[in-house]
Amino acid sequence: MIEIDHVSKSYNKGAVRAVDDLTLTVPPGEIFGFLGPNGAGKTTTIKMIVGILKPDAGTIRIAGLDNGAEALRCKAMTAYVPDEPEIYERLKGIEYLNFMGDVYGVSGGERRNRIEHWLQAFELSRAVADPIQTYSHGMRQKIILTAALMVKPKVFVLDEPMVGLDPRSSHLLKEAMREHCDGGGTLFFSTHIMEVAERLCDRIAIIHKGRLAACGTMAELRDQAKDKASLENIFLELTET
Amino acid sequence: MSPTAALIKAALNSNFGWSIVRHRLFVQKRDRWMVPLVALGVVGVVPTLVLYVRLLGDVFDMLNSLGQEKALLTLAVLAGQLMILVFGLFYLIATFYFSRDLEYLIALPLKPSQILLSKFAVVLINEYLTMAPFILPALIVYGFKRHGDPGYWLIMPLTYILLPVIPLTAAGLVVVGMMRLVNVGRKKDLLIISGSLVLIAAALFLQFGLSRAAGTSDLDTQQIMSMIASPDGLVQTIGRRFPPAIWATRFLHDGLMTASGLSAFALFSGLSILLFGGLMAGAQRLFFGGLVGLSERSGVRVRGGKALAIKFSSGCHPVRAIFLREVRLMNRTPIFLLNGVLGVLLIPIVLALTLSSSKQGTDSADILRLMTSAKPATGILVTTMFMIVCATLSGVASSSFSREGRKFWISKVIPVGYRQQVSAKFLHSSAIALLGIGSAVAVLALRFHLGAWQWLSSLALALPVTAFITSLNLAVDLARPLLDWISPQKAMKQNLNVLIAMLFDLGFLFLYGLAFVALGKSGLSLGAVIGIMATFGVGLACLAFTLVSQFALRRYPSIET
Repeated sequence: MIEIDHVSKSYNKGAVRAVDDLTLTVPPGEIFGFLGPNGAGKTTTIKMIVGILKPDAGTIRIAGLDNGAEALRCKAMTAYVPDEPEIYERLKGIEYLNFMGDVYGVSGGERRNRIEHWLQAFELSRAVADPIQTYSHGMRQKIILTAALMVKPKVFVLDEPMVGLDPRSSHLLKEAMREHCDGGGTLFFSTHIMEVAERLCDRIAIIHKGRLAACGTMAELRDQAKDKASLENIFLELTET
Repeated sequence: MSPTAALIKAALNSNFGWSIVRHRLFVQKRDRWMVPLVALGVVGVVPTLVLYVRLLGDVFDMLNSLGQEKALLTLAVLAGQLMILVFGLFYLIATFYFSRDLEYLIALPLKPSQILLSKFAVVLINEYLTMAPFILPALIVYGFKRHGDPGYWLIMPLTYILLPVIPLTAAGLVVVGMMRLVNVGRKKDLLIISGSLVLIAAALFLQFGLSRAAGTSDLDTQQIMSMIASPDGLVQTIGRRFPPAIWATRFLHDGLMTASGLSAFALFSGLSILLFGGLMAGAQRLFFGGLVGLSERSGVRVRGGKALAIKFSSGCHPVRAIFLREVRLMNRTPIFLLNGVLGVLLIPIVLALTLSSSKQGTDSADILRLMTSAKPATGILVTTMFMIVCATLSGVASSSFSREGRKFWISKVIPVGYRQQVSAKFLHSSAIALLGIGSAVAVLALRFHLGAWQWLSSLALALPVTAFITSLNLAVDLARPLLDWISPQKAMKQNLNVLIAMLFDLGFLFLYGLAFVALGKSGLSLGAVIGIMATFGVGLACLAFTLVSQFALRRYPSIET
């Protein structure tokens, strides 16, 4: 469902190579964890998948479609949750959800059912008519997640989605992620929480200095590492400079 | 470095973006094309500056022949302080209360007065830069024309440094006091806007009051003669409603070695220190009270399922959804609302007030005379220009992309075509421009009693040109959107794109006016000229919209956030 083919991206006119010849494939039905130290190129990769950044080289395909040439069709089947909940603070929560529903073409009935469900699950029902500028960091994260879950896309791309969430919301999100992939959807997410990646992901990739350091199931990663005790140990071993 | 000095340094660095400019130029090696452009801009200003200096020289000679040369200083000081008072109010509200870094600063172990001082320093430095091209030439011309007296060159820079302090601290005291008063309850944005409108009205009242005080046309011949006979006559007349201008004139002219000069300096600097001290004391007591409320949560309301249900939209076209987003974001951000919507509504009224209150022989009176000219062609052209300026001066279109700021990522990921996004922005900017045209028509018809034929003809010409300018201004902002800002003021009023677009607009209007006059002189009837120019305008508007839509397809993907 997501195919990243020899993708590179640099900043400062090539002085900083953020992503270097990255190739990955995430098939439908898979939760794919994307790990790496700070500045390894995770967010840059994610931003290229969703079309915020343009790769310098290589192609990214969503369901077989080039996300540059067929940008609109790719975006219509992708929902993105950024690492920083920067959204329209002057809109009310419900206005933001309606806006996202309108631009993704979610019908009135489906919109209502899904929004009500997730607002209740995330305990946001009482705050949804208030301006977003009055929300805490976690509440903003939840309203973005609610919008993404309302869209019910084929592909979820989440950049550190657990940051700022309370344990209950975090648990609900993990359940939703599993349910989405069990239904044939694809989920690509980055995280720094090794336990979450270890328990939740079908496959994991570790990126270091823009290059793919390892990729595979937990068993495959263990086979590649000397210290097989935990994902944390494998991660530390692979990302040693 | 002391905490206050460190804070001021960080605030200035953040406002002027020194670190980011250095990084872009020398590390990222981006934006180097801006260097020759800025140099070209500076060189482009030189001819205007030379003309201005010559004009000031002539004014000095004329005043000198009457023995009233000191009045040039009074005029310069008064003009500078008025400029600061009017523009400073907006800068102060935006910088004191709407900077996004305030919520981080509150959490630091800093006194309110330290935070306010750092913000005040930013506004002060901006004011020095704003008034430099207008005031410094007057002070320098006076110094050179006066021949000799090296003491003047020591006092002059000191005067320039002190010049903004009195009006800016006075405005600051009003702003801090007002924000503390209005910043209560759930309707604080509305109260902030109402308060700002009161401030605008006060600034206008002051401006008209002082300009009337500075005018001499109310005086009869005998009074004029006696005014000229006294060496301080004109100075006293110009500065009578604002004595600091008279004090500054006295110590600049007499020097600090004379009793009159020294006493005037003591008065000027004493008042500056007093007001500055008052502002700092006021800040200590009132600043946080006005500030903390801005980020306070207004309380969670408990709603039943039924109340919530009516808020669900059953779905609308993406262009309409983006249009509504633009409307809501503009109307709910006080700085955008004041500069955008209220700006276009108020500009015609303010212009009308200025035009109708001006005296015979001034530029404003000339514009009014042309607008109500017996020659219909002249009247229609000037009225058309009036409508277009009222509609497009607000900077709504030329800040359309910049206003999205760090939320621009949303526009990049939503499945809505870039053409559709530009269409929604065009509709929103046009709607606000229409408000400006509506306000202008109301002023023209009701205040100046222009005939329906004149304003309807002008409307037919102004509407397509406004649509063209809207597309042009959108393209300017799309070419280089300013997305990384912490104060909304930066996205609109301090956005270079707004200035660049304005220059393009004025250049186009000049050419449009020339074309209109040339057609008028070609022997065609007025109706034919209007028909041709309106058709030309429609053609240009369609072309510009098509081009900006095409440009969006190319430009959007390369804007990286």
